[in-house]
Amino acid sequence: MTTTSATADLPRARRRPARIPRLVNAELLKLRKRRGLVLVTLALTVLPILIAYIVLVTLHATEPAKYGPAGGLENFSGSLYLLAQLGIIAAILIGATAGAADIGSGVFRELVVTGRSRLALFAARLPAAFGLALAAAWVGYALTALASSLLAGSLEAPGAALLVEGAGWLALVVALALVLALGLSSALGSRGITIAIVLGLELAVMPALMQIRALGSLRELLPIVATDSLAPSALFDGEVVVPTSVSVAVLVVAAWTLLPLVAGAWRTCKRDA
Amino acid sequence: MSTDARATGRKEGSGAFVVETSGLTKRFGDRIAVDDVDLRIPHGSAFGYLGPNGAGKTTLIRMLLGLTSVTSGTMQLLGRQVPSERATALARVGAIVEEPRFYGHLTGRENLTVIAAAREFEAHARIDGALARTGLSQRADERVKHYSLGMRQRLGVARSLLADPELLILDEPTNGLDPAGMREFRDMIRGFVAEGRTVLLSSHLLDEVEKICDAVAIVDRGRVVMQGSIADLACGGEETILIATSDEECALALLGENRAVASAVAEANGIRVRLRPEVEAEPAADDLGRRLVLAGLAIRRFEPARASLEQRFLDITSRLEEAA
Repeated sequence: MTTTSATADLPRARRRPARIPRLVNAELLKLRKRRGLVLVTLALTVLPILIAYIVLVTLHATEPAKYGPAGGLENFSGSLYLLAQLGIIAAILIGATAGAADIGSGVFRELVVTGRSRLALFAARLPAAFGLALAAAWVGYALTALASSLLAGSLEAPGAALLVEGAGWLALVVALALVLALGLSSALGSRGITIAIVLGLELAVMPALMQIRALGSLRELLPIVATDSLAPSALFDGEVVVPTSVSVAVLVVAAWTLLPLVAGAWRTCKRDA
Repeated sequence: MSTDARATGRKEGSGAFVVETSGLTKRFGDRIAVDDVDLRIPHGSAFGYLGPNGAGKTTLIRMLLGLTSVTSGTMQLLGRQVPSERATALARVGAIVEEPRFYGHLTGRENLTVIAAAREFEAHARIDGALARTGLSQRADERVKHYSLGMRQRLGVARSLLADPELLILDEPTNGLDPAGMREFRDMIRGFVAEGRTVLLSSHLLDEVEKICDAVAIVDRGRVVMQGSIADLACGGEETILIATSDEECALALLGENRAVASAVAEANGIRVRLRPEVEAEPAADDLGRRLVLAGLAIRRFEPARASLEQRFLDITSRLEEAA
């Protein structure tokens, strides 16, 4: 069988679907077939929640007078905060992998040789990576929501509006970390260096900067400040370290989204393949 | 070969050349990797781009494919200007640049799926055909990290076929292959040419180019120093005859007097006679034979001597070295 004979059977008038979804599917295939990455992502987003609620249920069952029900608003808030922190790590791993996989494997040049625009190749990475990171984060979130509602007992359970707000906020936090990692790894072409830089920023540098009062309102430029201020107010009881307005927070989030993407897209378009 | 498919990738009246470059130059700082290259590759042929390592072969290919920028000059692929019409031109170009690279964690079929997603919609339907043609159908669902080098090369060809290519650009495609693999590869390339596809084969292996290609450009230090058909380049435009007689001295004297003879040199296996380029070879050879016989010499050998491409290549490059 030849290539020609394979093509000869094609219906000529077949309608062509949009190209971007095929590229996105291909990106998703590349990501989801990385077993290690998928396992680590699930380990970060689903496993801790499972363990946390099993522990809470066990404690409540053994000493109900000392330990309250496993569900309820307070535990929901705590587990969502935990999920957000671990979701950020998962998003960084996924984003860094998606951004640097083509360069690292050497397949980028094979993709460029197809004639497809480099911008389209870059753009396809984002929805695929976001899809995987969000799916994993939301599985963990579904567990959280379910457990905090069903196991609330005498405590106040999170309402539907709060559950929706919580899901949206989690998506925002995950997306921001993902975009930062994806843009930076596309620009640097290195997964390892990107993970080190972004993890360091997210987990050490930014939280430390946020605590330095001498920086004053400059701290409002940190994405961690912006996402904290955009969190549902019922979650953290207004315990915001650096108060900032919603409009400033939205602008900061937009800037931290656009800058890495522009850097990654520019480098993808300009680099020697 | 699907002529319909080809027509979509080729401009009407684009001429007989699938690759045409003019003054193509690439500099890396002060170093010139590709120097003022004018290249014309005819349609439907196997064209060798032959040169020693570091001669700028891969850099030229990378420029043609838009993998690296051009310092100056113009180029056309399949009648389309590159880089301005690069996407349309490359839609009908398949290429292997240096060692073909893949996602090791994906299977052969999945790797092709990824590339097909970046190509036209029909590319996906070509995956099975491409795998079958390269003999990979049975192993298509194994992860590429378990493939041998030969299998990776074949998968690289399969990937190139997803474009239903009018032009195949292969950069050192037989690197690392064993003799059987090289022969298989040669047959495959000739098969592509027989289908009407054009193959641009970059190599430093003279023997390989001579066996596969119809025409060749010889490149040295970034410059194309000669291009033409293999036969023309091998003989360098001069007809050469190898003659052995019963009396070599007498024969040398007779040949030296003949106006059609440019040079006559005694070698271990006879006298190598070069005819002047302006004479018609066949009548001149007939005349030489007649004169030798009339002089009473017994002719033991009288045959056209064809210099190998290797000999010609070494002549050219050593001349360039001397000139430098």
